Amino acid sequence: MIEVKNLVKSFGDNLVLNNITETIQKGEKVVVVGPSGSGKSTFLRCLNRLEESSGGEIWFEGDRITDKKCDINALRRKMGMVFQHFNLFPHLTVLQNITMAPITLKLQSAQEAQKNAMRLLQRIGLADKANSYPSSLSGGQKQRIAIVRALAMNPDVMLFDEPTSALDPEMVGEVLELMKELADDGMTMVVVTHEMGFAREVATRVLFMDGGQIVEQNEPKEFFAHPQHPRLKDFLAKVL
Amino acid sequence: MQSIFDQIYTCLIANNRWQLILSGLGTTLLIALCAILIGTVIGAVMALCRLSGSRILRGVSLTYITIVRGIPMVTQLMLFAYVIFAPVSIDKIVVAIIAFGVNSGAYMTEIMRGGIQAVDAGQMEAGRSLGLTKWQTMRKIILPQAVKNILPTYTNEFIVLIKETSVAGYIAIQDLTKVSDMIRNADYNAWVPLIAAALIYLLLTLGLSRLFAALERRMARSDRS
Repeated sequence: MIEVKNLVKSFGDNLVLNNITETIQKGEKVVVVGPSGSGKSTFLRCLNRLEESSGGEIWFEGDRITDKKCDINALRRKMGMVFQHFNLFPHLTVLQNITMAPITLKLQSAQEAQKNAMRLLQRIGLADKANSYPSSLSGGQKQRIAIVRALAMNPDVMLFDEPTSALDPEMVGEVLELMKELADDGMTMVVVTHEMGFAREVATRVLFMDGGQIVEQNEPKEFFAHPQHPRLKDFLAKVL
Repeated sequence: MQSIFDQIYTCLIANNRWQLILSGLGTTLLIALCAILIGTVIGAVMALCRLSGSRILRGVSLTYITIVRGIPMVTQLMLFAYVIFAPVSIDKIVVAIIAFGVNSGAYMTEIMRGGIQAVDAGQMEAGRSLGLTKWQTMRKIILPQAVKNILPTYTNEFIVLIKETSVAGYIAIQDLTKVSDMIRNADYNAWVPLIAAALIYLLLTLGLSRLFAALERRMARSDRS
């Protein structure tokens, strides 16, 4: 579904991604872990071109998205993204946050979009917040709305950029729970996170990044039980 | 020596003075209102140029701002009246509206640029990640939030503009200030017409601040939790 070939990204002289090649299959739940500055967020942001790559290729469902001529806006509709700081639209109500993109892009009528949004809100138990503004929500609620906002576009893959890092500890659970449900529904997911428990439980594959490279990867059981690379051993010793 | 009331009567009421003052006020308001509209449009366009990806557009915008902000308003006004529009016969008030509009536009550009840039960068990313184009995100997400940021400084610019129009007399326009000065000359009385003019300006600017403050409160709805 997503194919990354020799991806390179540098900010000035700073090489952030150093020749990454990786394939993500439909239905996989790939969790990316690693120390800060390892390039994991940049890697994720390159996948929907929020960050322009400096070299290499990324293919998504048969389209080369690193091609300047490709219609990136059309491809982004199929790639939902969830941010660390939620990035809800503060001037719109919860309902409008969810329906804005489908309506603006004329993918759904206003009525359809609202019906769809209410169904999603009911599913996460926040239907009563439909007409509230984001400022009145807790962090956990905001992030769940942000997830639903991305889901309203019916994406084929969901990208999560440290979705629980900005949350108070007691809010982390509800967000991870929703992500788990999403995974159980068969959504293809790429998740950058520090939540090792989530990686262990939900991931089909865990990638360890360090110094702009994928240093090691494995299915979660092996990944945590028998790390090979000294950097990963060191990392796991610190975070577990 | 006339009594205070006699002086006020002579300067402001007698001989249709009140009409003269009213027409002066009308001219001041006409120039200020039309100029702020022009300034807002120019400001919006130039702010978008300033933030665009094109070097040429950024250059045009920056050059415009630099020139306008570097020359005193009175000089600009006279340049418009006696140089740029000298060959054509055109109402002086229209010239003033254009001159003040072009001047205000430069300040508006910077106000709007600041307001747009103050919107969190994550908002643009969120919009783009949903598949919206840059312009759609601008229109639906960034600009509505920028308006809220802009409003306080916008009010301020409007107030500054109203006060700046008082130099319109330099190109023989009878605005509020010019009219009060004419009365001063005719009646050999300075304090009545000038204080009257001052009070009218004060009322205008005060009313305007109140109006915009109310607007700001309304727009702050979504901030309340």
